Order: sequence, then C-alpha cells, then structure tokens
Amino acid sequence: MIEVRDLHKTLGTEQVLRGVDLRIATGETCVIMGRSGCGKSVLLKHLIGLMQPTRGEVLVEGENIAGLPERKLGEVRKKIGMLFQSGALFDSMNVEENIGFPLKEAGVRDKKEIADRVAEALEMVDLAGEQEKMPENLSGGMRKRVGLARTIVGRPACILYDEPTTGLDPIASDSINHLIRRLQKRLRVTSVVVTHDMKTAYHTADRIAYLHEGRIYFHGLPQEMHESPDPVVRDFIEGRSGDSD
Amino acid sequence: MFSTIGRLALSFIHYLGELALLFAETVKAMFVAPIRWRLLLRQVVEIGFRSQLVVAVTGGFTGAVMAAQTYFQFHRLGMDSAVGAVVSVSMFRELGPVLTGLMVSGRVGAAIAAEIGTMKVTEQIDALRALGVYPIDYLVVPRVLALMISMPLLVGESVALALLASHFVGTNMPGVSAAYYQHQTVLYTDSSDIIMALTKGFFFAVLIGFIACHQGLNTKNGAVGVGRAPTEAVVISSLAILISNFFLSFALNMIFPGGV
Repeated sequence: MIEVRDLHKTLGTEQVLRGVDLRIATGETCVIMGRSGCGKSVLLKHLIGLMQPTRGEVLVEGENIAGLPERKLGEVRKKIGMLFQSGALFDSMNVEENIGFPLKEAGVRDKKEIADRVAEALEMVDLAGEQEKMPENLSGGMRKRVGLARTIVGRPACILYDEPTTGLDPIASDSINHLIRRLQKRLRVTSVVVTHDMKTAYHTADRIAYLHEGRIYFHGLPQEMHESPDPVVRDFIEGRSGDSD
Repeated sequence: MFSTIGRLALSFIHYLGELALLFAETVKAMFVAPIRWRLLLRQVVEIGFRSQLVVAVTGGFTGAVMAAQTYFQFHRLGMDSAVGAVVSVSMFRELGPVLTGLMVSGRVGAAIAAEIGTMKVTEQIDALRALGVYPIDYLVVPRVLALMISMPLLVGESVALALLASHFVGTNMPGVSAAYYQHQTVLYTDSSDIIMALTKGFFFAVLIGFIACHQGLNTKNGAVGVGRAPTEAVVISSLAILISNFFLSFALNMIFPGGV
C-alpha cells in the first residue's frame, strides 16, 4: 500500500530524515516509534504529502507522490485519512459539521445521508449523540475521537495516527488503543501509528518500525522488538536515558 | 551595516516573491476551482456589511471636518463657494479610498490574519489539506473576492457620507448658499473622480486581502505568532496603501485627469 524509499528531509540546517526505507503492506498496522524529535511525525506527514521530501520517493499504491503539486495530491488524500495529534477540529464548526465536512467536500448533498453517516462514525468512536457540541467543550480524548470520526467517515483505505494517546490519561489512552484496534478489525484499513507509547505499540501493531538517527533502525514484529538484545532498542523499551543522579 | 541593508533587501524581495506566488495561486484558483458561494457570501457579510459603521463614521466626520477647515481657510480669501468642490474632489480622489482602506485593514485585515494564523498553528490548515481541500480555494479565494466586492462599495458609502456631512457643515457657515455650494460641487466633480475612487478601493482590497492572508498562512511559533500576525498584517497593509496611493494617484491622474 505504502512504500518509502531512501527518504531524506532537511528542516533548516537539521537533517531530520537520512534515508528512510519502509514498506507497509495493505491491511497491516505499522507502528513507527522513536524518541521525541526523531522525525516520526515528519515521516508520517510525508506519507500523505503534507511535507515534501528533500530526496527520495513515497509510493502510495505504486504512485510516487513526492513532488506532486498540491491539487493532484487531493486525489491521493481521499484514500488516506489522518488523525492529528491535537485532533485539529475546525473550531468554528460543531461536531456534526466537522465530521460531515469531508462528505460535503466529496460532493454528498443529501442531508439525511450526511446525518446518518456522521451518526454512524460517532457511534464507532463511542460518542453517539454528541453532534451539537462545539470543539471547545470537548476533552482532549473526545477531540481525538471526533477527529478520528472525521477521518473514518470518508472510508479511507489507510489511516495515519499522529501520537493518538499523547496528552491523555492512562484510561483514556487505553480506550483509544482499543478503538484503533476495533476500527482495524471493522474497517480492515491499513494503519500507520506514530507513537512513543510502548503500550499503544504492543496493543495495536502488526509490525513496529523504530526510527533512530533519521533511519529505520529496527523493523519487525512486536515480539521481536520486545526480545531484541540490541542496546539502542533495549534502552528505548526500558526507558533508560544513560544519565545518572 | 552593508550586510544588514543587504539582508533587509533580500528579505523584502523574498517577501514580495511569496506575495506574488500567493497572488498567482489565488488567481489560478479563481478560474480552475469552483467558487464556494456560501463562504463568499459569509465573507461579504463579515467584511463588507459589518464594516459599514466604522467606514461611515470615518467618512462622515472626515467630510465634516474637512468642510469646516476648508471654509476657515478659504473664507479669508473670499473663496467660500469652493468649499464643496474641494471636499468632493479630495474625498473621491484621495481621502475616501485611503481612509476606508486604512479602516478596513485595521478591522478586516487583522481579523483575517488572526483567524488563518490560528488555523495554521492548531493544524487546522493541515487538516484541510489532509481532507483533500486546497487551503487557497477554501480560505484565500472567498476572502479576497469578498474584499474586492466590498471595498469599492465601502469607499462609495464613505465618500457619500462625507459629502452629506460636508454639505451640512458647509451650508451652515455664514456666507455660503446651499444652491451655490451644490452647483460648485457638481461642477467640479465628474465621473473620472468616481472611477478613481472605486479603482483605488479595488486595488487596496487586493493589497489588504493578500497581505493579511499571507501573514495568516505564514504564522509560526504558536500563540506568540498568532499575536504577531494581525499586527504585522495591519502595519504592512497600511504602509502598502499609503505608499501605493502616491504612485496610483499619478498613474490614475494620467488616465483620468481631473478638473473642468
């Protein structure tokens, strides 16, 4: 479904990605892990064309989207949905208008169809009946759920999650993890999850890619990562900084 | 010192280049993408309809004070009857468009920059892009078009109120007859003055729209950036209006020479 070849990205003077190679099969859930600031979100944004690489290729269903003009990316983006770290809800619209937005943009004009599909998406994220609320009246977890409902309402073939549990309490995080897994089973979508939360990774991943120093340092099954003897991987799993008091 | 001047010149050229690219993208979007009529109408209400009070008050009081001041000066020379003509031509050709432009840049330019800037730093613009919506089509085109439609009308309204107010003040001064005041005003004001006012209004609308949208789309650094964007939008668009007005006046005077 998605393949990244020799991806380089320089932001200012900093080389964030230094030759990332990654292949994500259709229907697979790939979790991209790494330390804060290692370029996980930058890599994720390349998969939907929100960022353009300095060098390299991003293939979505065989089509290289690197360097495509913004207007042509619109078609690719209809196949891929993205959940942003903050939810990125449109704050001038209520929940129903936010979730119905992609449908209206896709040309759906039937108000009943939009209302039904919004209700269905809200039911999938356990927020049934919350259509009238404004984003400012939602908690962090609810915003992410509404953001997820907006992402899935257009029935994309692939969903990208940018730090889906960051900033949430452990119970809300667990609930989001279960939600991601449930959506994978129900919608059978390809998923790419960026996180540094080990619990999210083990709960949702079919395969884990560990990003280190701008490259994919490890790519394998969750069990393989868990049992890896590699000191870099072990330090990350066990949360060892190497500093002493 | 030379390196500082060079750096400033380069950043100014870079800024003009970015504005030119935004202009080109927006003009292209107006022709290749469908116009979002509902958004456009909402912006016309927000930009045009809701700016009327501030523009009307500015025009009315400027016209009134100009009539009074012109009368005080001209009365000493025995040219009382020229008050109406001076106010009318000044308001149409210079003060009406410029003051309306400055008021709209303060009210509307700041709001556009703050709104788009907030959307930028809260990832709402990235969300639009991720949903396959081109931000230029959705955010810039309706605002720029609404400004292009509203500004000439606001300039007309501002000048009309200025003339009414100046008529009220001018004809209540000793030694000025209403009939003669009106005759002189009409005699010295022609269609070229009206065309000049509306042309300037349209041109300033383009300046305000692109400068404000550009500031919004380039907002960085969270809340600090959102605070800075409207201020910079107002300062840059006000300066652009004042400076461009000088050159525009010369150019338009060649095309539409004034006087009888």
